[in-house]
Amino acid sequence: MTEKAIYFDSSKCTACKGCQVACKTWNNLPSPLGTNETKWSGTHQNPADLNGDTRLIITFNELEGDSKIKPVKWAFGRRACQHCTDAPCASVCPGGALVRNEETGFVEVYQDKCVGCQYCHSVCPFDVPRYESNGLLDKTVIDKCTGCADRVAHGMAPACVSACQPNALQFGDRDEMIAKGKEKVAWLHENGYPDACLYGEREMGGLHVIQVLKYGIDAHDQVQDPQAPATAQLTQIIKPVTGAISGLTVAGLAVMFGLAIGYKRDKLAYNPETEDTVSVITGDVVQHGDPQDDKTVMEHITENLPIGKKGDK
Amino acid sequence: MTSHWCDFQNTDVILNCGSNSVENHPVSALWLEKAHEQGAKWIVVDPRYTRTAEQADIWCPIRSGTDIAFYGGMYNYIIEHLIEPNLAKYQETGDMSEYNFEYLLNYTNASYILDPDYKFDPETGLFSGWNEKTKTYNAHSWHYETESTEDWDTSENGAYAWVKKPGTPEFTTPTLTNPKKDMTLQDPMCVYQQFKKHYSRYTLDTVCGICGIDKDVLELVYKTYTSTAKPGKAGTVLYALGQTQHTYGAQNTRAMSVMQLLLGNIGIPGGGVNALRGEPNVQGATDMGMMVNEHPAYLKWANTTDRASLRKWLESQTYSDGYYTNKPKFIVSSLKEWFGENATVDNDYGYDWWPKVPSETGAVDYTHISTFELMQQGVIKGYFNWGMNPCHSAPNAGNVRRSMANLDWLVVADQVITESASFWNAPDMNPSEIDTTVYYLPCALIYEKPGIILNSGRWIQYRYQAVEPWDQAKPDYEMCDLLWTAICDLYKKEGGANPDPILKTKWDYYVDGKIDPRPVAWALNGYRVAGTECNTDSANPKTDLLKGYAELGADGSTACAMWIYSGMWNNNDAPLDPAEQPLCRRNTEDKSGIGLNSEWAFSWPSNRRILYNRNSCDMQGKPWNEDKKLMEWNGEKWILVDQADFVAVKGDKPVPPNNKTFFMLWEQNARLESYGMVDGPLPEHFEPFESPCDENPLNGAFHNPCAFGTQYASTKQGTKEQYPIVATTYSVTEHWRTGGQTRLCPALVESMPAQFVEMSEEFAAEKGIKNGDEVRVFNNRGSVVVPALVTKRMQPMNVNGKVQHQVGLTHHFGWADLYGTGDVVNDLTPNVGDPNSFTPEYKAFLVDIEKA
Repeated sequence: MTEKAIYFDSSKCTACKGCQVACKTWNNLPSPLGTNETKWSGTHQNPADLNGDTRLIITFNELEGDSKIKPVKWAFGRRACQHCTDAPCASVCPGGALVRNEETGFVEVYQDKCVGCQYCHSVCPFDVPRYESNGLLDKTVIDKCTGCADRVAHGMAPACVSACQPNALQFGDRDEMIAKGKEKVAWLHENGYPDACLYGEREMGGLHVIQVLKYGIDAHDQVQDPQAPATAQLTQIIKPVTGAISGLTVAGLAVMFGLAIGYKRDKLAYNPETEDTVSVITGDVVQHGDPQDDKTVMEHITENLPIGKKGDK
Repeated sequence: MTSHWCDFQNTDVILNCGSNSVENHPVSALWLEKAHEQGAKWIVVDPRYTRTAEQADIWCPIRSGTDIAFYGGMYNYIIEHLIEPNLAKYQETGDMSEYNFEYLLNYTNASYILDPDYKFDPETGLFSGWNEKTKTYNAHSWHYETESTEDWDTSENGAYAWVKKPGTPEFTTPTLTNPKKDMTLQDPMCVYQQFKKHYSRYTLDTVCGICGIDKDVLELVYKTYTSTAKPGKAGTVLYALGQTQHTYGAQNTRAMSVMQLLLGNIGIPGGGVNALRGEPNVQGATDMGMMVNEHPAYLKWANTTDRASLRKWLESQTYSDGYYTNKPKFIVSSLKEWFGENATVDNDYGYDWWPKVPSETGAVDYTHISTFELMQQGVIKGYFNWGMNPCHSAPNAGNVRRSMANLDWLVVADQVITESASFWNAPDMNPSEIDTTVYYLPCALIYEKPGIILNSGRWIQYRYQAVEPWDQAKPDYEMCDLLWTAICDLYKKEGGANPDPILKTKWDYYVDGKIDPRPVAWALNGYRVAGTECNTDSANPKTDLLKGYAELGADGSTACAMWIYSGMWNNNDAPLDPAEQPLCRRNTEDKSGIGLNSEWAFSWPSNRRILYNRNSCDMQGKPWNEDKKLMEWNGEKWILVDQADFVAVKGDKPVPPNNKTFFMLWEQNARLESYGMVDGPLPEHFEPFESPCDENPLNGAFHNPCAFGTQYASTKQGTKEQYPIVATTYSVTEHWRTGGQTRLCPALVESMPAQFVEMSEEFAAEKGIKNGDEVRVFNNRGSVVVPALVTKRMQPMNVNGKVQHQVGLTHHFGWADLYGTGDVVNDLTPNVGDPNSFTPEYKAFLVDIEKA
């Protein structure tokens, strides 16, 4: 199998959210069941962000237009895992829960191997991986787009692509998707959209979601020049050294993240009053104790990882 | 649709007017974007910047309810810029480089001379024939002057010999009145001159003032769309409820048809007047005649005046020329299906067993809006509420709930407990004061039963059952069968009033003793009665299905419930196997090269993909566009790509090209001016029932003088002083109608968890409202609390020199359901409507808004 990619043409997307709902239904991801439990976000973008049960959302961005006949630019975007070639999440993952499929290029998810450390979230330049949680530590596991590995293995397109009515989403060999995108960008340039660009060809070593962005990168809520944090690159050194004992890797990483002062995606916070470490994303107590104390982290990991299952590939 | 979904790809200019198609009919986007990528221009005329507007090249915001002014301005633009400057040259040299004169002159009634009494008075806003006492028109003066007359030749070898066939009911055959014409278009009473005079008032400035459109934008829209007037160019107009739901909604639809005729856009690939219909669906409901005065297949139901007997029906409904000369065959075949062997020529095929709709002036009115008035008055005491949810979807829904409380009994057949099934439990109702007995019949979803489904493009397909119905739920036809059988048994056992219409009705739609849609398909397709012993046993099925409606007779030899569907199920070799019938065809090879897909499913009538397709060729039978060919006359015969929608062959002889291109009308030319509407022969701009304006700059009538339902006290008309804000209602793609199904899907509720009121940033600032604030939207009829969506996509408009604010509300929520609930937005909409179709005015009314 050659490298695959999901193609997203924002200029053809009608923001119907068929992909968003298809993703949930195919992957058995639950939605809130209480009457009016889901709060309206205040825009068409609902839910407002990805969460542990939502791997894909369509984003809506209203911008000032530049002519009388188009006084508004309503930029529709697609927010989900972009399946980097240099996937930092897969690099830092201690348990083997995130694994790059070398054939397709998609970063697949093995939830049973997730230790709940949430480092993948910290290193993701797209702020993608989220955690499915019921508030208990042992239930907090990674969730993100898998590229519908099950469907792709059977020669089908991912669920989101199969639901798209106007063919804004397509699926195929990555080089073909790139060629298609370049052609479309050229068309948009000729047809009144000078800021249109292709996204995903080179970012992060090449993404496996190739996007045509009608109004440019920022308008569609994408990240300019995404980079993995330096901490993620260090794992390339640490991982082989620590070998199969993932707990040590994690402990090592914990120290590094603790030291990565000022890194914007530091989403764990320590509450000195309760002496708890709390996830800023989910609000859950991740552990009792200070996350910068490597000894505590080590205990936390080893307690929650049955020896023998971890790191097996 | 006169066209079909895949045909959008053939267009040069797309005009979405009153339709947010990519959002509410998502599949349209595929074909529209195909056209767009090939260079088509795309215009969206809509009060708000919709998801469709985002796809388009031009957004033209418009005040809700002013579409006729918009179209009238376009007619005036066409006359001033394309017809008048080029007409003399065309008549001298035949030059059509700017405008398709051949189409206008030969295929429309532009040259026809009108009755000398025809008149329109802008001072009063009234056409000739007005009766002030009854508030209705007599359309006599809207007809043409007659040049000559012809009677039908019913002799043995005559064209209408079938009239004399034994078994055919007696009636006086019609006389064809050939209209007087002036092909130079100079006679002051010709349709073109009257039309030109009428719309000369619709200047750019007047239209901009009424519609609140910027002049540069309007001119650009007109210029872009009228570029399709050139022969070989195509423009398509897509519309939906934004056009029809007005007190002049049918005239809006006519206005679009007239625009397309002036531009030569009907009957050509990439053209047409395209009503977008959805899932449940409106196309099927219209075909089936799901209205008080409509019989299935666009025939008229029996009434108490001009259709009081079969003879009267035949004399008032049969056209003097064109295809509808065959109407006697359609109605007699329908009666034969309805009453089977009980229908004979001696008893007028059972016509008098049909109930007759009261149609005298002032008779009781049973249309949708009036139904609830009759409940208030105690006239209607029991109500079958089947497949609809009026306590949510009807205008002035609060009034509907209070009306239902007067019923003795109510039966609701639906998939879920809707607001109508639980009307007594609405937040504003007191159950202890309501004595209505409510019966709820759970019905099967479309996936839980087999059956026939029709799409907007008139394609008929068969849907197999996927899963068994849930719990006690049953398909609708099974419920009908149980009810019908029980009623018949009671009549047989106990007798009762007026038994014949019940007991003489043919009801035999069973396969192996169980009710089944396949024998219904036989009935819809039609079959020969004489000498046929129908057998619906699956082991040995037998019938004599007709190839198509050309085989129908008026002599009782054939039975056919719906002539337009004839041909969809005509394979006698496997009469019970849907897969072997035309409607199940699945050949994806498109021989036309322009997406007709003629071997996929079956398109009524007669598998015709583009209606009025003869208009795609000139008077010599040569296509206007060589690359997009539907047919061509090769000098000897017609080479057909699509099924002919005209007389291509008579007997065995090919018929050379002529000007009879609209053969569903007796004059066989399309009507720029029409005597067929109750509220005027030309579309004229009127203000909505509730208008923010001081005056109507175009005429002295202000409202449509014929608007329906305005006399009801329950409408509680508000004034612009009380309620200065224009409101409209619409859907979002995440939900479906009243939400019965979609609010039961957690993933859909999550993707759009609430309804909202959209408003401009300027208006919100004026009212001190921030995005997400709960606001109260109210008028005399009701009050709802919804969150505000403050957006650049709504803008204040300049209407007749004043700033006018406009808001829009989505309307999918109600008190019933599990996952998402909310107020019923239709508590605000007025229960008035169009006098032709009785469609309510949901799209333009007045409200005020305050922070909740």
